[in-house]
Amino acid sequence: MRYIPTTEEQKKNMLKEIGVPSFEALIESVPQNLRLKDKLNIPKAMSESELEDKIFHIAKKNVDFYSMKPLLGAGSYRHFIPEAVKFLLQREEFWTCYTPYQPELSQGTLQSIFEYQSYISRLTKMEVIIPSIYDGASATAEAALMSLRLTQKNKIIVSNLLHPHYRETIKTYLTPHETEIIDLPYKNGLVDIEKLKTLLDEDVASVIIQNPNFFGGIENMAEISGIVHSKSALLINVIAESMSLGILKAPGEIGVDIVAGNAQSFGMDLNYGGPYNAYLGTRKQYIRQIPGRIVGETVDVDGKRVFVMTLRAREQDIRREKATSNICTNHNLNVLAANIFLSLMGTEGLYQISLLNTKSAHYLENLLLQTGKFERVFDCPFYNEFLLKSKDDISSINKKLLGNNFVPPLKICEFYQEKNLNNVLLFAVTEVLSRDNLNLVAKILSE
Amino acid sequence: MKLIFEKSIKGRDGYSLPQDLFDDIKVEKCLPEYAISKDKKLLSEVSEVDVVRHFTKLSKLNYGLDDGFYPLGSCTMKYNPKINEKLASLSNFVYAHPFAPEETVQGCLEIAYNLNKLLCEITGMDEYTMAPAAGAHGELTGILIMRKYFVDHGDIRHKMLIPDSAHGTNPASAAMGGFQVVEVKSNEKGTVDLKELAELMDEDTVGLMLTNPNTVGLYDEGIEEIEKIVHDKGGLLYYDGANLNASLGIIRPGDAGFDVVHLNLHKTFSTPHGGGGPGAGVIGVKKDLIPYLPTPNVAFNSDQKKYYLLDAGEKSIGMVRAFWANFSVLVKTYAWILSMGPNGLYNASKTSIINANYVLAKLKKYYKPAYDRYCGHECTVTGKEYKKYGVKTLDIAKRIMDYGMHPPTIYFPHFEPYAEETIMVEPSESESKETLDKFIDIMIKISDEAKTNPELLTTAPHITPIRRTNDALAVKRAILTYDDELKLKDELKYQEKDIDF
Repeated sequence: MRYIPTTEEQKKNMLKEIGVPSFEALIESVPQNLRLKDKLNIPKAMSESELEDKIFHIAKKNVDFYSMKPLLGAGSYRHFIPEAVKFLLQREEFWTCYTPYQPELSQGTLQSIFEYQSYISRLTKMEVIIPSIYDGASATAEAALMSLRLTQKNKIIVSNLLHPHYRETIKTYLTPHETEIIDLPYKNGLVDIEKLKTLLDEDVASVIIQNPNFFGGIENMAEISGIVHSKSALLINVIAESMSLGILKAPGEIGVDIVAGNAQSFGMDLNYGGPYNAYLGTRKQYIRQIPGRIVGETVDVDGKRVFVMTLRAREQDIRREKATSNICTNHNLNVLAANIFLSLMGTEGLYQISLLNTKSAHYLENLLLQTGKFERVFDCPFYNEFLLKSKDDISSINKKLLGNNFVPPLKICEFYQEKNLNNVLLFAVTEVLSRDNLNLVAKILSE
Repeated sequence: MKLIFEKSIKGRDGYSLPQDLFDDIKVEKCLPEYAISKDKKLLSEVSEVDVVRHFTKLSKLNYGLDDGFYPLGSCTMKYNPKINEKLASLSNFVYAHPFAPEETVQGCLEIAYNLNKLLCEITGMDEYTMAPAAGAHGELTGILIMRKYFVDHGDIRHKMLIPDSAHGTNPASAAMGGFQVVEVKSNEKGTVDLKELAELMDEDTVGLMLTNPNTVGLYDEGIEEIEKIVHDKGGLLYYDGANLNASLGIIRPGDAGFDVVHLNLHKTFSTPHGGGGPGAGVIGVKKDLIPYLPTPNVAFNSDQKKYYLLDAGEKSIGMVRAFWANFSVLVKTYAWILSMGPNGLYNASKTSIINANYVLAKLKKYYKPAYDRYCGHECTVTGKEYKKYGVKTLDIAKRIMDYGMHPPTIYFPHFEPYAEETIMVEPSESESKETLDKFIDIMIKISDEAKTNPELLTTAPHITPIRRTNDALAVKRAILTYDDELKLKDELKYQEKDIDF
């Protein structure tokens, strides 16, 4: 077997040196009657070329996504990824190493995490960044748990315009804690501010708001922040599309206490749902309650500036059941992808892409409204995603788009059953769609 | 090494933009003033060349599995086949959107469906969920499944039994699942003390979380009795699959009576660790627990010959993440199993067990085994005899680096009197006899150095890119971003040689 270097002859000799007559003697503690009598009933080993043929064949049962342009976002966005990201990421020193428990042999990983923390801190204007939770949903759930620990309260308010999967994940994580979870309804495509005021009381640990929200709308976070803090609750700002930070105000500027952000847009492929990366951001005063790994700067015995995993006394391998979270293996390689991506984009690049996404989304919305086949559902500002109600049946629209090599937009009725959201599509636009592409979409849908 | 921020030159760029920036659209007409950031967010300004050089140099400060021996106990650092990376990055997969219509992603769904069946056969379980992103995430998922099962049966239980040798994630996950953790002591053989287990297991206990072979690399001889004790009180048995690499084709957790199993695909199933993930911690269950699996799962409609994402229904614990799985990790796992076949899987476990016992046999004269018996795929020895020379296990580990290898896991597990100053070596099936012999020679040489020149160890490593770090200072100063460092610039006073190496 090409992945197992030891030969049968060598194994025999090794068993001799161990001092046993056979391999069987080494596993005598495995009860005989529980052992497998037969070989595993799985297909025989394939050669590398047979394997390649097989997986290529299965992959072909997908459509050719590379040639298709996505009008679909909803928490997973196709952005252009410079080749340098993928090329550097695959260096074996990054790809095949373990968690950086030994800093002398892992400065590459550790410094990369530190740089990423620095980037995200500047993007969000939050003081402390936890670089790697699995994804936006689990990061939001961890943020909710953190708010319960910080406030010692057991009630949270969750915007109905938080990504539906994130809402479901919060519920799952909080079930054992019997936390009261209150749905905050929306009004005209944004959270209902008046309702928030009535729902808030001194027992609320935190209020969780996604911005831009699941419908693409831009919330008035400063106003929300004032209301939330007047009842001494914590404000958790969820960001499902972190590219928006290129142009939108940073959560740290508007009094947000905890940020939970999905960083998939920073150099990560769609990959049919994962792996992605998510970060948490908060204030230094809350540092003892943060979950997960964090990297800090220190010196080595020669006085060199070096990086280490730090503030470890919160983590599971040390604190066991008293840890702030159980998270261990995380999505570190995705952190590296995001770090390389942000390094390439730089100050101006990120701003320009964010700006372009805003403009091209508005361009498409305008074009589609002009066809006379669509109307707005809500009249609120949006970033790069928007809802449109169709006069034609949305299933046939999506079929048409698919036939013309567009990944169709989300049917919002899959997640929201309100009557006015019937026959409504959630469009997403990123820089991978050119003006010609958008014109074509409008042309197809005007017919 | 210099940070990317310290290489930044105003006006330099590393990005390219499409020609058409939609200048005809005015941003003020799109976004409300209150939402727009007044300033551009300051990142760095470097060229693509700078970025490539920076990260290439950074990579050279790391040590990866492809560099050499990486015997971290309990981590299963096995070879990551290169073909699997190519297959996982086929464009039909990487550009597939998780909300794309089901008819467009039949290939993705087929892989998940087939993998589910293979994992069931390999472990003797009835159904898997692909949702969990890592081992600990799988643990939480499994524990919530157990919890839901009891709630559904109107049998509210509060405690979870966990051996003292368990990974820290076990108790942490149980606590997140709302359970009170009760520790079960290990016996002199390094395995679960059956008498204590029988005393602790009661009808207020949901069950036992067990790693088998356990975290010192020993098979629990009493597994049949353990199964009986837990099930007799109506409890469920949870299998932590961190050490499954010792069991492939030999024993299946499902046959041993385990009800819930998590597998670390980034350990036993060869997907790369990536410096701390991403991996996947898929969960397998027995038939009675299938209704509680997270939603959605992949199913097959045999009439229409179509795969689809199935809503798991009312009893499901719900979602544990967005979308549904770390898909690219699944592709690599599937490819690995197909490459290995039944003989290859058995051979992997057999070789890893022989490798570990070979290391143990050769080292036990120099480093006493924590338990004097044959081990599974990893062996645990102790460096405590060198304490009298002023040498700790940490020093031994650091000295290994000077010889160009990655040290084994140290100080885990740690419970006296059996496990103290532990060194846990997991060679995996990927290592040749020559590599093991080289490691053994190094370890013997170090044991000699400990006696004759302990300072060589206590000051080690000497030739790594950096040397021992001041971890206490990192906590005290809490410099967590470059901006934190800038605020302390006057105090820090690094010289050029301290940051440019």
